[in-house]
Amino acid sequence: MVDSSALTKKFQKEMNAGIASLVLLSVLDKSKKPMYGYQIAKLLEDYSGDDSFMKQGALYPVLHSLESNGLLESKVEPSVSGPPRRYYEITSEGRETLVIWQGVWKQMKSLVDRAIKGA
Amino acid sequence: MIKSIEQYLDMLKAELSASDAATVQDALADAEEHLRAALANVREVQPEISEEEALAHVIEDYGSPAETASAYMEVERRTVPQLIRETSKNVSPLGNFFGVYTDARAWGALLYMLIAFVTGIFYFTWAITGLSLSVSLSIFIFGLPVALLFLLSVQGLALLEGRIVEALLGVRMPRRPLFTQRGLKWLERLKLLVLDKHTWLSILYMIIQFVFGTIYFVLFVTILSFSLSFIAIPFVQEILGVGAIMNNDVRYTFPTWSYPLLIFGGVLLWTAFMNIARGVGQLHGRLAKSMLVTD
Repeated sequence: MVDSSALTKKFQKEMNAGIASLVLLSVLDKSKKPMYGYQIAKLLEDYSGDDSFMKQGALYPVLHSLESNGLLESKVEPSVSGPPRRYYEITSEGRETLVIWQGVWKQMKSLVDRAIKGA
Repeated sequence: MIKSIEQYLDMLKAELSASDAATVQDALADAEEHLRAALANVREVQPEISEEEALAHVIEDYGSPAETASAYMEVERRTVPQLIRETSKNVSPLGNFFGVYTDARAWGALLYMLIAFVTGIFYFTWAITGLSLSVSLSIFIFGLPVALLFLLSVQGLALLEGRIVEALLGVRMPRRPLFTQRGLKWLERLKLLVLDKHTWLSILYMIIQFVFGTIYFVLFVTILSFSLSFIAIPFVQEILGVGAIMNNDVRYTFPTWSYPLLIFGGVLLWTAFMNIARGVGQLHGRLAKSMLVTD
């Protein structure tokens, strides 16, 4: 018997791996001000409604990797309460990359839609 | 059931025990920042639930220590510092020796050797001044805040040095500062810093960086001048028409047949030095990592 919930979980995880970068880059592209991790996580929570997109903790390593590739910039600022916060901002390189990624996403989406519909 | 953020961080650290120390430091800082912000938010929106329940909610959204650790390990596998990525080619020893000119790590190490002289002097002055001020002023009440400020500045400088080391030497270093426990009185904070082995290792690093910086700088300048002199001898002799070496008012001229040898010798010396610099850079990077990164 196939454990479909475990399979679904794995499927979701694999899909998120690529999409997370696109989503984070888009969020930071739309945002007028630099955002910190928890703010981004909150926003995504609003977007996704009841079913969560991915664990919030998994967003941070993606942010680090986007930053080390030069698509994001960050700076640490002290906060009134609690530890200092790292604010992320999209770079011009990030904006250019995002345009390309959006194209890739549109292609992928139409392919998947057509495959599901079978038309 | 996880009872406190500290407990969560300890568990996360344990899960990441096989990972790079710098990744661990990043992961802990991210988790602490997020969990504290989220917890404060939940407590504000739903003041009626207990601290423990609130934390459970927050962790449910953030992910268990195991889930979080696996996310970092997954991404870390794909993200290595830029300089490391470029050096996995397979070439002959000779190609490797002269290929040093195209190796970003060698140029980075050279630049680091120059910068280390300046930073070394600054770190040394800062560490010695800070230490003596903190110790001598500690007989007054206001000596303690001075000591706290100094130790905090050491943490900041250690992070800065880490950024320089990662950029120029390609050794992975923490990208974020490590936070201490929150809500501490400053006196307790001072005590924690004083008891932390990492603080003293960082100060020691700042002091020995002076020695290393001086040695690097002297080596750099000496070998650069020797190499350039060797290469310049034929040109000086031919263009100015005088011997290149002067001893007791007598000029000695290098014979024409030795020109190619002199130029080759100069190039060889510099190339050898660049290879050595690359190696020294890697060693220095490891030293910096062992002294500046908490494990």
